[in-house]
Amino acid sequence: MSDVTLDRKSFLTTAAVASAGLVTGFPAILPSRAFAADTLRVGLNEEYTGVYAAYAQSETRGAQMAMDAWNARGGVMGGTKVELVQADNNNNPGTSVEKTRQLVLVQKCPVLMGTINSADSLAVSGAANALNTFFIDSGGHADAVTGEKCEYSTFRTCHSTWMETHATGYSLAKKFGKKWYMIIPDYAFGHALQAGYHAVGKQIGVEFVGEDLTPLGTTDFSPYLTKVLAAKPDLLLVLVQGDDFVNCLKQTTQYGIVGKVPIGGPQVELEAVWALPKEARVGYWGVEWYYTGVSVIGSGNKLADGFISEYRKKYGQPPTARSAFGYITMDRMLWTVNEAKSTNAAKMAKALEGAKFRSVWDGEGYYRDVDHQLMWPMWVGQIRAQGTPEDTYDIFDIVDRQEAEKIEQSVAEKKAVCHMNWPT
Amino acid sequence: MAHIAPEIFNGLILGAFYAVVAIGLSLIMNLTGTINMAHGSFMTLAGYLAFALVSAGTSYWFALAVAPILTLIVGVLTERTLIRPLYKRDPVYSLLLTFGLSLIAEETYRLVWGDNGVPFSPPVALQSAVSLGFIEFPAYRLFIAGVLLVIIVALVVFLQRTRVGLRLRAAVQDNEMIAALGTNTQLLYMMNFGLGILLAGVAGVLASGMLGLNPQSGNALLMPAFVTVIVGGMGSIFGAVAGGLLIGLTISIVTLYIPAASEIAMYILMAVILLVRPRGLFGEEGIFG
Repeated sequence: MSDVTLDRKSFLTTAAVASAGLVTGFPAILPSRAFAADTLRVGLNEEYTGVYAAYAQSETRGAQMAMDAWNARGGVMGGTKVELVQADNNNNPGTSVEKTRQLVLVQKCPVLMGTINSADSLAVSGAANALNTFFIDSGGHADAVTGEKCEYSTFRTCHSTWMETHATGYSLAKKFGKKWYMIIPDYAFGHALQAGYHAVGKQIGVEFVGEDLTPLGTTDFSPYLTKVLAAKPDLLLVLVQGDDFVNCLKQTTQYGIVGKVPIGGPQVELEAVWALPKEARVGYWGVEWYYTGVSVIGSGNKLADGFISEYRKKYGQPPTARSAFGYITMDRMLWTVNEAKSTNAAKMAKALEGAKFRSVWDGEGYYRDVDHQLMWPMWVGQIRAQGTPEDTYDIFDIVDRQEAEKIEQSVAEKKAVCHMNWPT
Repeated sequence: MAHIAPEIFNGLILGAFYAVVAIGLSLIMNLTGTINMAHGSFMTLAGYLAFALVSAGTSYWFALAVAPILTLIVGVLTERTLIRPLYKRDPVYSLLLTFGLSLIAEETYRLVWGDNGVPFSPPVALQSAVSLGFIEFPAYRLFIAGVLLVIIVALVVFLQRTRVGLRLRAAVQDNEMIAALGTNTQLLYMMNFGLGILLAGVAGVLASGMLGLNPQSGNALLMPAFVTVIVGGMGSIFGAVAGGLLIGLTISIVTLYIPAASEIAMYILMAVILLVRPRGLFGEEGIFG
C-alpha cells in the first residue's frame, strides 16, 4: 500500500523480536495479588512455555492436588492455608533465576518447587540457595543437582540421570546387544545421560558407534537418522525429550529404522507417547512412575488409588510421572514445613533428610541425606501401539523394577562430589 | 561424505517447505505491509483441523484438501474483521495485532485439544521408507516434495498468467494506480491474504505428518520462513523459493557436521547476504525501502 511505510531495518528488528517472543513465549508470574499473612505461598517455577509445556502442566496438576489435600485437612502448622504461585521460567536458565528472585522477594514465597529442564533446575537451585530458600527440584534430572552442584537447601524428587541410565543400560544391553548409537539433547540433562551411559558401557563393554548432540527444539532429525542407518547399531538410544522426542520418533519410523534397529532410552514421558501416532509407539524405556501395575503402585495402596481416580475425574486422563512428581514434591514440601514448624531452609532440610515415607508407589522412599536425592525405584517398560479396550491411555507393559540403591551412586561416591555448605 | 547426498536431497525438500510458507508470508507482506506473526498459528490450526477430520473418520487425503480451505475461511474472516482496519496505519499495529492473535490462538488450541500434542500420521502407504538407489528415503518426504513442487508451479502460473495474478502483482508495484483504474483493492487484499493463509494451511497439514502437532508447533517453523523471505528478497516469489532452498540446504549440511550450529547457521547466512546484497538475493527495489 502506498501509505504504508515499513523500512527494512524496522521489519528486521520488529519481526525478529516478535518471532523470538512467539517461539519462546512470554515469561509471567501468576497470580500477582495481595496475600494473607496466614497463608503459606509455595512458588512453582515451571517451563509453561516451550517444548516442556505439557510436562509443566502435569506437574502443576499433581502439585495442586497435593496442596488441596493438605488444605482440606486444615493446612499446615495448625491452620495455615497453602497457596500456589506459578511462574513461567520460559525454559530458560536466566529467566529461571529471575523468576526465583521474583517469587521469593516480590511474591513472598518462602519455599520453592518445580523445574523440568535440568539447566533450569541448576539455575533455580543456585539462586534459591543464595536467598537461603528451600527448593525441591520436582523434575530436572541432571546428576549435578544432587552431585557436584548440590546445595543444602535443594532436594530432588525425580530420578537422577545416573539412576535412569543404570536402570535401563544393563537390561537394554542384555536384550539387544552392545553396539549403541545415541541421539542426545545438547544441554545439562543430555550431557549427564551421556556420561551415565558411558559409565554403564565401560562396565559391560559397549561400543558407541555414534553419538549426536542435538540442539533443544530440533524439528528435523534426518541428518542424524541417515547416520544411524549407516552405522547399523544394535540399539538406538533416544535421549531427547518433549516435542523433540515426538519429532524424533515420528521421523525414525518414516526413515524405516523401526523394525531394523531396536529403540530405547533412559526415560519416556507419557505426555509425549500419547502425542505419537500408533506406528511410532515403539521401544523399551525407563519409566519413573506409571499409573497402573502392581510392581509400580502395589495392591491396596489407598493413597495411590485415590490420587489416580481423583486425577482422572478432575482432568479426564490418568496422571503421568510428571503428575506424580508434582504430587510427591508438594506433599513432602508441606509435610516438611509442618514437621519443621518453619520455612527456614536449614531447619526444613534437616527435617526432610532421611525421613521415610510412603506415597503413590509401592514401597518406602526417603530423601538421602548425603545428596538430597529421593531414593525410590525405577521401572522399565515396553510401549504398546494401542491402549487396552478398557483404557485407551494404558500403553505401557512394565517389564522390570529396579530398586534405588542398586541404580544410584553409592553414598561414598556421592560424598566425593557433593559438598554442602550449611549455614553456621 | 557418504551422508552428504541424502542430506542435500533432504535439504532441498526442507527448503521447498520453508519456501511455501515464506511465499505466503511474502504475499501478505508485499501487498498490505502486514507482517503476519500469526502465520505459524494458522499452520497449527490447519494441522489440528486435519487431525479433527481424520479423528472423525475421514481420510487423510480429504483432510489434506479440506483443512487448508477451512483455515483459509478463518484467515479471511480475520482479515476482514481485524486486520483490514489497520491497513492504513503503521505496520507495527498489524504486527502487534497478529502477534496477539497468535498468543490467543495458542491458548485456544490448548483449551480445545489440550496441552499435550496429538497423534497425527500420514496414510499407511507413506509411513515407511522407499529406496532411491543411493539412499532409503521416507516416502512421506517425497510426497511432500511433490505437493510443494505442484504448489509452487501453480502459484507461478496463477500470478503470471491470470488476470487476478496480474492485478496482485500490479498492486504490489502501485496500489493507488490499480485502485484508480477501478480494481476493488479491498477484495484484492482479501484474496491475497486468503492465498497466503491457504499456503500456510497446506504446509501446516504436511508438517503435522512429519513433526509433532501441539499448540505451538507452527511457531517453530515461522522463524526460518521469515529468514527465507529476507534472504530471498522481499517481493520475489522466485527469491522465496531460492532463499528457502538455500536455507534448507544450509541447515541440513551444517547439522550433519556441526549440530550445535544448525540453528545459528541460517542467521549467519542471512547476515552475510544482507551485507553483500541488502535487498536480498532477488528482492525487488522499492518494496519495503
